[in-house]
Amino acid sequence: MELTITGVNAVTTPHLHVWDWRVSLYLFLGGLSAGLAIMTSILHVRKGGKLAEGDRAAFSAPLYVPIILSIGMLFIFLDLERKLNVFWFYLTVQPLSPMSWGSWGLLVFYPVSIMYALATLPESKRHYLRFPVLVNLSERLSRFKLPLAAANFAMGIFIGVYTGVLLSSFVARPLWNSAILPVLFLTSAMSAGAAFMIMIAGEKKVKLFFTKVDIWLILAEMVILPLFFYGQYTSSGAHRESIMPFFTFSHGYFWYGLGMLLLLIIFPVALVLKYLEVKEEHGEELTADALLKMNLSALMVLAGGLIIRLSFVYAGQLSHL
Amino acid sequence: MATSITRRSFLKISGATTVGLSVAATLPDKFLLWAEEQGMLKATYVPTFCEICFWKCGVMAKVINGRVVKLEGNPNHPGARGKLCGRGNGGAGLLYDPDRLKTPLISSGARGEGKYKKASWDEALNLVAEKLTRIKQQYGPEAVALFTHGTPTDHFLPLLSAFGSPNVGMPSFAQCRGPRDVGLELTFGESIGSPERLDMVNSKVVVLFGSHLGENMHNSQVQDYAEAVGKGAKFIVVDPRFSIAAGKAHTWLPIRPATNIALLLAWINIIIRDGLYDKEYIGAYANGFGELAEAVRDCTPEWAEKETEIPAATILETASLMAKNAPAVCIHPGRHATWYGDDVQRTRCIAILMALLGTWGRPGGTFFATTASFPKMESKPFPEPSREPLNGGGYPFAGGEGVTQAIRTSTINGKPYPIKGWFVSGTNLMKAIPNEKETLEAIKKLDLLVAVDVMPFDTAMLADVILPECTYLERYDALAVGKGKSLTVSLRQPVVEPMYESKPGWWIAKELAKRLGLDEYFPWATYEEKIKAQCAHWGINFEELKKAGTITIPDTAAPYITAETPPKFKTASGKIELYSNELKEKGFDPVPRYTQHPQPASGEFRLIYGRNAVHTFSRTTNNPELHELYPENEVWVNAPRAREMGLVNGTYVTLVNQDGVRSNPIKVKVTERIRKDCAYMVHGFSTSSTSLKKAFNKGADDQGLITRYEVDPICGGTGMRVNFVRIEKEAPHA
Amino acid sequence: MPRYAMVIDQRRCVACMACVVACKKENEVPPEQYRTRVVEKIEGEFPLLRMELRSELCNHCDNPPCVYNCPTGASYKRKEDGLVLLKKYRCVGCKSCLAACPYDARYINEKKGFADKCTFCEHRIKEGKEPACVATCIGKSRIFGDLDNPQSPVSIALRENHAEVLLQEAGTKPRVYYIKRFGKPE
Ligand SMILES: Nc1nc2c(c(=O)[nH]1)N[C@H]1C(S)=C(S)[C@@H](COP(=O)(O)OP(=O)(O)OC[C@H]3O[C@@H](n4cnc5c(=O)[nH]c(N)nc54)[C@H](O)[C@@H]3O)O[C@H]1N2
Ligand SMILES: Nc1nc2c(c(=O)[nH]1)N[C@H]1C(S)=C(S)[C@@H](COP(=O)(O)OP(=O)(O)OC[C@H]3O[C@@H](n4cnc5c(=O)[nH]c(N)nc54)[C@H](O)[C@@H]3O)O[C@H]1N2
Ligand code: SF4
Ligand code: SF4
Ligand code: SF4
Ligand code: SF4
Ligand code: SF4
Ligand SMILES: [Mo]
Repeated sequence: MELTITGVNAVTTPHLHVWDWRVSLYLFLGGLSAGLAIMTSILHVRKGGKLAEGDRAAFSAPLYVPIILSIGMLFIFLDLERKLNVFWFYLTVQPLSPMSWGSWGLLVFYPVSIMYALATLPESKRHYLRFPVLVNLSERLSRFKLPLAAANFAMGIFIGVYTGVLLSSFVARPLWNSAILPVLFLTSAMSAGAAFMIMIAGEKKVKLFFTKVDIWLILAEMVILPLFFYGQYTSSGAHRESIMPFFTFSHGYFWYGLGMLLLLIIFPVALVLKYLEVKEEHGEELTADALLKMNLSALMVLAGGLIIRLSFVYAGQLSHL
Repeated sequence: MATSITRRSFLKISGATTVGLSVAATLPDKFLLWAEEQGMLKATYVPTFCEICFWKCGVMAKVINGRVVKLEGNPNHPGARGKLCGRGNGGAGLLYDPDRLKTPLISSGARGEGKYKKASWDEALNLVAEKLTRIKQQYGPEAVALFTHGTPTDHFLPLLSAFGSPNVGMPSFAQCRGPRDVGLELTFGESIGSPERLDMVNSKVVVLFGSHLGENMHNSQVQDYAEAVGKGAKFIVVDPRFSIAAGKAHTWLPIRPATNIALLLAWINIIIRDGLYDKEYIGAYANGFGELAEAVRDCTPEWAEKETEIPAATILETASLMAKNAPAVCIHPGRHATWYGDDVQRTRCIAILMALLGTWGRPGGTFFATTASFPKMESKPFPEPSREPLNGGGYPFAGGEGVTQAIRTSTINGKPYPIKGWFVSGTNLMKAIPNEKETLEAIKKLDLLVAVDVMPFDTAMLADVILPECTYLERYDALAVGKGKSLTVSLRQPVVEPMYESKPGWWIAKELAKRLGLDEYFPWATYEEKIKAQCAHWGINFEELKKAGTITIPDTAAPYITAETPPKFKTASGKIELYSNELKEKGFDPVPRYTQHPQPASGEFRLIYGRNAVHTFSRTTNNPELHELYPENEVWVNAPRAREMGLVNGTYVTLVNQDGVRSNPIKVKVTERIRKDCAYMVHGFSTSSTSLKKAFNKGADDQGLITRYEVDPICGGTGMRVNFVRIEKEAPHA
Repeated sequence: MPRYAMVIDQRRCVACMACVVACKKENEVPPEQYRTRVVEKIEGEFPLLRMELRSELCNHCDNPPCVYNCPTGASYKRKEDGLVLLKKYRCVGCKSCLAACPYDARYINEKKGFADKCTFCEHRIKEGKEPACVATCIGKSRIFGDLDNPQSPVSIALRENHAEVLLQEAGTKPRVYYIKRFGKPE
């Protein structure tokens, strides 16, 4: 077949390219902050709050959530072509637009995560807040730690799912148009959250706890990812076509093949590393060697999350109904 | 400027304010459109006609405060019928092309070096007049030749005639319609006109020989063609290339190039042999049937199959399809007919076929032009040249438009007398006439080369003096008279004021005439005045014409042969000449005969060319609105052969012709749509003019590769599809 | 209330590109950007070839994913006549609608940053004119009108021919119909 098209727009031909690394980073950081929110809620609720006791992550993790979120939001903002019009996001509710409920969701997520951070701030550190009003607020909020943890947890799930729904809602792009994608993104977000937690936590018990959590999450990802590809492969022709970039080792698809290969390495290796951590007998303190392994595997998990976002954002635009 | 037709929406807001012209003229279109929507600015529609090609479609130019924002077709105009083709739609791209010629330019270096200094009109015109006078004194007025095409002709041909030279050459004859017109005239006593009087809308079968309608974008003709397609007419398309028209065809005949006459003779033979011809029609109107039948007896489909590579069975089938549907069969005689040097005879075959099927002057075939006409205007007679015109080149049937390359040859060799000055208006000779080397050689011999052009195209950039004409949207030109089923007159009038220092052709001609002491031939102050007088003479209301753009004269048209309106054939015998005594007298075949032409050697391709729907020859290649749709041409190569050669679609290659001439890098289009023995490209690309920012060096120039041409001995037409190229891979490309 | 639609009679398209150029001029579409295009598809092997010519534009879908995915309400489907239009002042240039459209009908106006696409020339319809591409269509391949009016050219064309929409499986319910072959509705 020979095709000649007169009057093509570069942005849609030969395939769509509207979104780039900025959106990928937004999805990754949004997911990371969501995952971290979920993990902080768990941290503070676990064992009636005992797990968090004495660990630096107890107060730093909740603070990271809005910060990471803000950086993520910065990237999506950078992607907008008409930045001065952003206020329109908040002058309307578009119930069918994931981006609309995402932007409203983020509007709720922010105060919740900030309030939660204030609530979890240990008394000893409240003086950092400087302003008496804030100190006061922090004190008062700390009484609602539990409901706030629940809200924070819920919002984390919401945003984690949202980053996937954003893509899965496009009927026109078969790679994205799968109900598994939000689940995959949520799992990957939580896994990244756990990994981040491992890195910022100081106490051995916390690190080990989240290592265990992450093992389950990685296992879940290792099930969901093949399921996703299986679903695409057995679906319509366009869906089947859509995953080919990942499995075609050609010059044009080099990066996708590489991404896939990395994921194939990262997940099992990280899993094994973590498994070893949990199995190993540790003393009171973690050895430098053990710390390194832990951080390494956590970094791998984060990289995996980033690779997933990057490759899916780009590859999705290659796919076409 | 014309009275404007107010848009409907403005009736509602009659109190709307109009922003001052001076401010708004510089505002961007976007704002203007917005302001117009808000009712602040008034859009006016000014009628005129198009000059992006020679179909002269009626245009309604939408103007908002001195800026042309859109061009639309004039519903009153028969060539447009309210529509413009893609090129016509993009006409404002020429008007606002930043690369336009802006001031007169005088060469400040060697000829062809492309170095110019700006000059005032006075300086430039004085210089031209002075040099023309010198040539006249030294060699006689006949030593000045005019090359011209399009409406500038209406101004510069009178100037040439007044000057005393008969030597005009238009590429529209020897590089275009010449052989076709001569072939039809020899057979029917008249040609088919432009627009061609084809009755395609009523056809049941349409036969296209090369005519690549849809790519060849003559507006109303393509509308008729689409109408015929829509009505279910069957198309027989003969073309070595799967053209757009072939894509719509009932039967596509991918003929071996240069064998067209064999196919036509076989068809003629079958139709006579099987008694399928219109006996009554032939009996009543034609001469020489017996001789024809005798001459084509051996042209069997089996014989033609060997020549054309079209299966004999298909030749038979198509012949009977035509015969079955006669006379509602339209056999297009083509337009660009200068292919192989035997083109008059090819057209003769087509004409004979038309006659046998009785389609000339019949519904679904061709129709007759109205006999109505406008009374002649008296004007001062031009001086008789003292020497014979040399623009006929000695060809017995050369037409009044002249044989361009004959002038070129005389310029080179000084025979029968020297040509020392070339005046070029509205034609890009370097691209229009084959063998660029010869053209350059001739130009070297000149004392003066003047170009009147709107854009700095190749030929203008060789001139000693360049005179910038304003575009068709900024000027008056001669009234255009149309003779189709009815008589029409259309007006070209300025839609906006001329930009920069450009001037209308009439002004340039008149100013030169003044300086040459010939003002009596231009006895009017402005062209508007001249047209007004003409309108008055013709009984046409000028004001009405300004508003309507086109006026149709109601008349008693008799488009078809009926008992009451028998046909008149203006041939010597008064009949259709199947056998041509005229040709015989001059030593040519009275009935067309087939001769073989060389075919490409292995490793070679025959170079063929054609049109792209959004371009007109070279003239649109720099038009920003059209350039973006087809910025450069490609060379079409048969896919299996390309694979054998390892050519990759979209990569650049170089073409090398039989004489070693190399083309610019050109993208290869690997396609099933063409025979193995041909390489096809769109004509007009790759200008050598660096002043054309968009078009410079884009694509390859077919004319550059056409170093050989086969001259038709009957009329002087230059057959240009006789060159062979090799394809070299991996062309360097910037 | 009109229900505007377009019928593209592919048999009559002659690939002249007049629609493409006219649309750009009418709507001030920036250089190298387009609201409509013409697809030329060739199938087969020499000399047994088939050609399909198809002009494409926004389908003004009755079930428009571009509108659903627009977070700001800049893209909307107009109630009175079903045109899918844009309030440019609201557009943030997030490009969701571009990703959402299965027909690649949209682009981002490179000069202004807002999303844009064919409007069925609603400013012309308002004045009682045909869309620019229809008005200049050399082949009369583009037919425009009101589906609710049985006498409109689109209704007649759809009655007399078999027509299809592009990517029916996308479920977008397009309002641009294509007539590919000769013949009555099946
Ligand atoms: N868009 C556009 N339209 C134009 C013009 C333009 O510049 N641009 N110019 C106008 C003018 S002035 C003219 S004269 C006409 C010219 O237009 P036409 O009269 O249609 O020109 P042709 O040379 O007959 O057509 C070229 C076709 O001939 C085919 N061909 C090549 N060799 C052979 C052969 O040996 N036999 C047969 N049967 N076919 C062959 C080519 O493949 C190609 O498809 O177009 C007019 N229309
Ligand atoms: N190889 C090859 N040669 C061909 C053909 C081909 O298909 N292949 N086609 C042949 C045919 S059919 C024809 S009709 C001829 C056409 O031959 P030309 O008419 O010479 O065609 P163009 O190359 O378009 O050159 C037109 C020139 O006129 C200028 N011009 C445009 N508008 C105006 C105006 O309003 N005023 C003035 N003063 N100048 C203007 C342009 O800028 C350009 O320089 O070419 C013939 N030569
Ligand atoms: S056919 Fe096209 S370019 Fe030629 S005069 Fe008509 S509108 Fe202009
Ligand atoms: S064609 Fe695309 S842009 Fe147009 S309405 Fe349908 S989805 Fe929206
Ligand atoms: S780019 Fe504009 S119109 Fe498109 S979805 Fe975003 S806000 Fe809506
Ligand atoms: S309807 Fe108007 S906007 Fe849409 S493609 Fe046609 S001309 Fe362009
Ligand atoms: S204007 Fe009409 S005939 Fe020409 S390309 Fe467009 S749809 Fe086809
Ligand atoms: Mo021509």
